[in-house]
Amino acid sequence: MGGGGFTMEAEPSLFDDYVLSLAPAREPRICLLPTAGGDSEEQIRRFLIAFGDRLCEPTHVSLFRLGNRPVPLREHLLAQDVIYVGGGSLINLLALWRAHGLDTLLREAWQAGIVLAGLSAGSMCWFEHGITNSHGHPAPAAGLGFLPGSNSVHYDGEPERRPAYLEAVASGAIPPGYGVDDCAGLLFRGTRLAEVVASRPDARAYRVTASGGRAHEHELEPRVLARGAHDLPGAVPHDIGELRLLHAARRTMRGR
Amino acid sequence: MSRVPQVVAFGGGGFSMESGNALLDDYVLAATGRERPKVCFLPTASGDADHYIVRFYRHFSAGRCEPSHVSLFRRDCGAPEPREHLLQQDLVYVGGGCVRSMLGAWRAHGLDGALREAWADGVVMCGLSAGSLCWFEQGLTAFHGEESRPVAGLGLLTGSNAVHYDKEPRRRPDYHAAVRAGMAPGWAADDGAALHFVGSRLARVVSSRPGASAYRVDRVDGEAVEMPLAVDYLGAPVSLVA
Repeated sequence: MGGGGFTMEAEPSLFDDYVLSLAPAREPRICLLPTAGGDSEEQIRRFLIAFGDRLCEPTHVSLFRLGNRPVPLREHLLAQDVIYVGGGSLINLLALWRAHGLDTLLREAWQAGIVLAGLSAGSMCWFEHGITNSHGHPAPAAGLGFLPGSNSVHYDGEPERRPAYLEAVASGAIPPGYGVDDCAGLLFRGTRLAEVVASRPDARAYRVTASGGRAHEHELEPRVLARGAHDLPGAVPHDIGELRLLHAARRTMRGR
Repeated sequence: MSRVPQVVAFGGGGFSMESGNALLDDYVLAATGRERPKVCFLPTASGDADHYIVRFYRHFSAGRCEPSHVSLFRRDCGAPEPREHLLQQDLVYVGGGCVRSMLGAWRAHGLDGALREAWADGVVMCGLSAGSLCWFEQGLTAFHGEESRPVAGLGLLTGSNAVHYDKEPRRRPDYHAAVRAGMAPGWAADDGAALHFVGSRLARVVSSRPGASAYRVDRVDGEAVEMPLAVDYLGAPVSLVA
């Protein structure tokens, strides 16, 4: 996602529904990695609220609080259907993942068919390179490289990224790739782009290539995600109400 | 101007753990030898938690020092060029949290080198918990739940370090086991105790609580041997009369 989902859009976000729909499980286990935001309580709270109202089992792993709340990282992450990576600093995200061995765990998870999703830093991390603002100005930075090429996010929302990205691709500093607006997203199956989606009609993604020392943008038309009939903002439909009760009952049974 | 390198490593304590007890924080401010020292807070180990930064500024008010902080998660806030900024300080104060995450972020931003440079240049380094472990070659971390594991620190000080030694019941047996298993020998400190190193030598152990202790732990014939250290309580002498 170039930007969007529970951290950036009004709930219920079409992107969050879309991410869940990619997992075959009826009640997917979805784990938030809020690492890039320094495990911000706000991001975690919003995630739990957003996904607590959906048919899924939401959890999060905070690498900064493993001391107080230990989690067997490998077991927990590999048992998920979806791993959702929050936004923040791309540089810190990768440094912390490497420090805790999550880079290799996530590769394992991806190869095992677990859906990897995320926005902003949580989008760029899957590619060979991204354009980060971690240093206070836009600059290229390496990602995990599961997907070939590069990625720049907030393409419309943070206009200073676009020229930095185009220049980096034009000069060959980073490989060609994708520029993605807020509210637009790319779905890769394996390493192949399968679909471009958007939660608002004017959001776009661009294939960015280089030739003759110049960068070229090729617009990719997204499929606009449609709101389900039950997603009327403001009201709590009865099935969601029931789900909340069910979750509350489960929490009580687990004794927490 | 030549200042001698100093590290004050708290087993636990200071503004974030000892509300109303400023003895350790006053001690590190005094260790700078400046009337109004420049103090930079590094909240990295907490993920640059806002509430932690706010509490730092509340305790290190502009009346007694020149406070600042460096945030690695929000480079648009705090000091712009971390390296330059750190080199200009009199005191660097490292907050608690997750030492493994902190060291990872520091290395990604080149703060490991900058801190070593600042330390060698005489900027006093201090901190609690993760902010203590990080200065040694190895620190004992309780992260990952099941067992405490040694983590490689910046190595400004030789040997290893264990913190919260009295508060968490598994720290002592875990530290002894780690030293037996080949972790470098080193120093353990209770909450409220602080190890003050001048150069690479332990010069003094101070405390903000009368009972807080610190220990040297060595490996002798394959066994961990613990020796208590003399501790100077920084508060008023404890009255023996009830």
